[in-house]
Amino acid sequence: MASTSLAPKRSIWQRIPVVHQLRQSVGLQRGMLVAGLVLVAIFLLTAIFAPLLAPYGFSQLKGDDGDFPTQQAPSSAHLLGTTVGGYDVLSRVIWGTQTAFLVIVVAIILSIFIGVFLGLVSGYLGGWLDRILVVVADAVYAFPSLLLAIVISIVISGGQSGLWAGVTSAAVSITVVFIPQYFRVIRAETLRIKAEAYVESAKVIGSNRSRIMFRHVLRNATRTLPLIFTLNASEAILTLAGLGFLGFGIEPTAAAEWGYDLHKAISDVTSGIWWTALFPGLAIVLVVLGITLVGESLNDLADPRLRTRRRAIGSLPPAGDVTVIPGGTLDEVGNIDQLEARP
Amino acid sequence: MTSAYTKTRRTLAVVAGTAAFALVLAGCAAGGSSSSDGTVAKTLTIGTTDKVTTLDPAGSYDNGSFAVQNQVFPFLYNTPYGSSDVEPDIAESGDFTSPTEFTVKLKPGLKFANGNALTSSDVKFTFDRDLKIADGNGPSSLLYNLASVAAPDDTTVVFTLKTANDQVFKQILSSPAGPIVDEDVFPADKLATDDEIVKGNAFAGQYTITSYTFNTLIGYKANPDYQGVLGKAKTDVVNVKYYTSQSNLKLDIQQGNIDVAFRSLSPTDISSLESDKKVTVYHGPGGEIRYFVFNFETQPFGTKTADADPAKALAVRQAAADLIDRDALSKNVYKGTYSPLYSYVPDGLTGATTVLKSLYGDKKGGPDADAAKATLEAAGITTPVKLDLQYNTDHYGESSSDEYAAIKSQLEATGLFTVNLQSTEYVQYSKDRKAGVYSVFQLGWFPDYSDADNYLTPFFYNPTDTEAFIINHYDDPAVDKLILEQGVTSDAKARAKIIEEIQAKVAAQLPTIPMLQGDQVAVAVKGVEGVKDTLDASFKFRYAALSKVG
Amino acid sequence: MTTTSTEVGTPVAPPTQTKTEKKRGGGLGRYIVIRFLLIIPTVFILVTLVFLLMRTIGDPISAALGGKLNAAQLQERIHAAGYDRPVLVQYFEYLGQIFTGNFGNTISDNRPITEVLLTYGGATLELAFYALIVAFIVGIPLGMLAAYLRDRWPDAVLRVLAILFYATPVFFAGLILQLIFGVWLDVLPIAGRGTTNTELQMQLLPNPTGIYLIDAFRIGDPQIIGDVLAHAVLPGVALGLLTAGVFLRLVRTNVIGTLSTDYVDAARSRGVGEFRLVTKHAYKPALIPIITVIGLQIALLLSGAVLTETTFEWKGLGFMLAQYLSARDFVAVQGIVALLAVIVAITNFIVDIIAAAIDPRVRY
Repeated sequence: MASTSLAPKRSIWQRIPVVHQLRQSVGLQRGMLVAGLVLVAIFLLTAIFAPLLAPYGFSQLKGDDGDFPTQQAPSSAHLLGTTVGGYDVLSRVIWGTQTAFLVIVVAIILSIFIGVFLGLVSGYLGGWLDRILVVVADAVYAFPSLLLAIVISIVISGGQSGLWAGVTSAAVSITVVFIPQYFRVIRAETLRIKAEAYVESAKVIGSNRSRIMFRHVLRNATRTLPLIFTLNASEAILTLAGLGFLGFGIEPTAAAEWGYDLHKAISDVTSGIWWTALFPGLAIVLVVLGITLVGESLNDLADPRLRTRRRAIGSLPPAGDVTVIPGGTLDEVGNIDQLEARP
Repeated sequence: MTSAYTKTRRTLAVVAGTAAFALVLAGCAAGGSSSSDGTVAKTLTIGTTDKVTTLDPAGSYDNGSFAVQNQVFPFLYNTPYGSSDVEPDIAESGDFTSPTEFTVKLKPGLKFANGNALTSSDVKFTFDRDLKIADGNGPSSLLYNLASVAAPDDTTVVFTLKTANDQVFKQILSSPAGPIVDEDVFPADKLATDDEIVKGNAFAGQYTITSYTFNTLIGYKANPDYQGVLGKAKTDVVNVKYYTSQSNLKLDIQQGNIDVAFRSLSPTDISSLESDKKVTVYHGPGGEIRYFVFNFETQPFGTKTADADPAKALAVRQAAADLIDRDALSKNVYKGTYSPLYSYVPDGLTGATTVLKSLYGDKKGGPDADAAKATLEAAGITTPVKLDLQYNTDHYGESSSDEYAAIKSQLEATGLFTVNLQSTEYVQYSKDRKAGVYSVFQLGWFPDYSDADNYLTPFFYNPTDTEAFIINHYDDPAVDKLILEQGVTSDAKARAKIIEEIQAKVAAQLPTIPMLQGDQVAVAVKGVEGVKDTLDASFKFRYAALSKVG
Repeated sequence: MTTTSTEVGTPVAPPTQTKTEKKRGGGLGRYIVIRFLLIIPTVFILVTLVFLLMRTIGDPISAALGGKLNAAQLQERIHAAGYDRPVLVQYFEYLGQIFTGNFGNTISDNRPITEVLLTYGGATLELAFYALIVAFIVGIPLGMLAAYLRDRWPDAVLRVLAILFYATPVFFAGLILQLIFGVWLDVLPIAGRGTTNTELQMQLLPNPTGIYLIDAFRIGDPQIIGDVLAHAVLPGVALGLLTAGVFLRLVRTNVIGTLSTDYVDAARSRGVGEFRLVTKHAYKPALIPIITVIGLQIALLLSGAVLTETTFEWKGLGFMLAQYLSARDFVAVQGIVALLAVIVAITNFIVDIIAAAIDPRVRY
């Protein structure tokens, strides 16, 4: 089963998850990974340089020559047109990357910490606590995530729709849904490693068991976690957009948010005003597409049977790539599949 | 499904039902886009995004439910087409037989559609029931002045009131607390379900309901037995389709899948339909008003703040009033579907003025930054003034966010204010507002009955033992006194004068700043007539006035 | 059924699967019993969570009349309805009601909760049915095709397509479809479940099932059947493609996996063509995980279609749940969530049993 084989040490650069996989990939698989990485890079760069890129502020309603016109078709002053409220569509799309980025970061950080912690504790201690946590995780899993997000947004922010309130409620609700995912990965890993010989031996020689557990579990899980990250990130964006679309979004003067802009665009579409809906929608699609492409490629590369065969035969898979398969990767890939249904 | 049709109806009902069935089918065969032979169509389809909560008048106090109840239940008093004042509906007459006794005479021989007689005991039953159930979502609070009801004989009802000479009580009889229900169908101590009501055929308004799918489709049929002030229905069968999205409603009226669309289309939809040759957009006076409220305790320089100063607080409110550009809001945000509102009583009601126009801004209705600056300087306030402005997105309409972004922009334009804009989900919003969390906040109002009183008492009547619903700690005993006075002044002219005086007094203090008055907007395909007749200051949309030719 | 594929097949681990501690033995029967008993705490926990959450976010009376009444009047009504009592007292009262089988009427619109569940459950079920059909028709053949052409450009195109299905929010797809079919082409109805005429006929049908397709067949009018189906196209496709993306991926992964197993290698060595390998040999074992995923998809389709239902005016459980949530209708929200919890738990249960029957390793 778990062959913690002693492969030659790799440089730090090579061990950075994505870089390693990029080097490992070939052909179309590399193409998909690169495409995904490019989209994600554009997204990140846009978020960082939004103040420079955006022609106007996200809540700007008037320029040097008076109020912006409302619902104006794309023109030289407003490259992607203006909304019903008079916002510049291009600026809101660009500023929206910052909001999307924030929600991803908050969601992932929360999910990792809580999910990893609970999974470790649950798997390590076992017993009644473990059972309860497992049942609770299942129960939470059954709750429609978007509705959970609505409830949580009300509980957390008192229904207020400021930037942080909106981001936190989307992030927390996504966290609640994703904790069971991280929880299960980490827990399964913990259970498996707990039974491993080297942990037993560590116990015998009296070293700190929990430290060993933590190190080994995390080391092994780092190969599966990026996959969940990417899904977690996509879901966070989609949930934020869904919240915005249902009217629980972020106040437009507090931040730009694509779901909210789409929500405001509903009545435009039937009047043939397409630019207010199309661009924020495309922004969501492209970002999620980029992130998911990266995730899918990483998934394939972690699985020897899905990985495109390399031309050179001799190169052994680096340490750890095989170890996860029996207890880890594939199982979790499956779980990820279930998550994808987000009707 | 909550289909009302069952095989277990009483024989009479079955016959009626079958007839309705045939009519419905006939209507459908011709429905939609009927041939243009100049005859009046038997069927009319109306679309709306209203939501019904319950058909039982004791259990609902919202526009969507009242819109339905209005078609099918009789009222003692009602507003005739084109008027804003009430007249006896199924009643023959109503008079104060003593200062606290309002006696109503019913027309003889009234019947419910199920054949049950409609007598004074049904009326007594209705109001007793409403007060007894006092349902959490019901309108029983409107009956604040009703002490008891008596039915000495079949056609006489005596309402005993708590305060004498209440001029508003007739209006209340036309409000959501007013629909008369059948005592043989409705339980006395709990709400009836929609199914029970439809199966019981307990209707006596202009229409009866023949088929009912909750918030999806309601089938109406004209009630031949209705003898009230509004007259018989012009179209025999009316189907009302319930939409959840405005844009779908808009598409369907545009494509002719429905004949009339009423409430609510977005401003964008309406302006786009106005240029569509296949439909006509009708505007009528609207009772809905939009305004924002200052909390006298927590607003800048409010009584509970560290630097409390009533004069400065007033200056802040006045400066804000100086800066608001109602025309811009009306045109840019609402595309003309809301009109500027310059007083507390909206245009179209007896006693309405435009007092704010002459007091603030450029005195002609427009904004004036210099006036605002002068006001603030005169009060010794250093600018910019920080204002926390709260609004809500899910209760007062989709466009609220655009409206308040524009208001923020207007207030900040010349640097006199910095506005921190926040929006909050409705239930939490109501809670926080009551707890005094918000210093300046948005509200909206849709009237219970079309009388100036309904725009004054709930807002500004703040005697010691009770509190107005806006809870902003505004209290002016002189206004309280005048409000009481207008309620019992029976001379119409004298009453209008008092109402004007109240508006002037309130306008000087600005506990709220009224901004917009919503038009009633209906869109109809060509050939539909009578829309204008019912878009009146009663703020009740009666399907019975509509007909379709060709 | 062969179990050779379960190495690859386990992708479909349901939420409860990995929690099994594999060293414990036990027969399938025992496993079924334990697994079944676990449904009860799952549902119980969820209902309790919902009860508590709902009590922290306001009450139905403020939701309905917060903008009409003054504070004293509201407080009086809240008190009369008992919403100001300690949460624990209300909770035990609620449990008592449930155990006596009294689910009550909704607060905001006074309808029996059982009726609400039946009506909207039917609508949701119907939508899920259409979506599954689309998902099958699109997802499985394309997944096989992608596996067959793996690592060639059509494979990449198909996979990007699958991701696009997932990455496009349904409300955005809805808006685009509205633009195309409602504004430009006017070919397909873009919202609702039937025309006015259809809805009227449905109302006149005695004992309607709430599933329009069945009801349409009972009416027997081909025009109505056609109308119901026409209305199902766009929501069915929008929701179905989302699921199709999942299926496509899953089928591809599993078929590729089985293509490299000994059993397929044996067939290959007998000279069976690659195309035939995919459609005959690798396909069947790959179906096992797919079947189990379908179970979970059904559960998710039933519980999570809020956005689809809202976009296409398909009044089902998800849509109503959102409505009742904003009305703070405790009774309705608790009822709907409890039903969803039961559905999801039972589906999980069935999936687990299937998985356990196939692969004994996953049992307790």
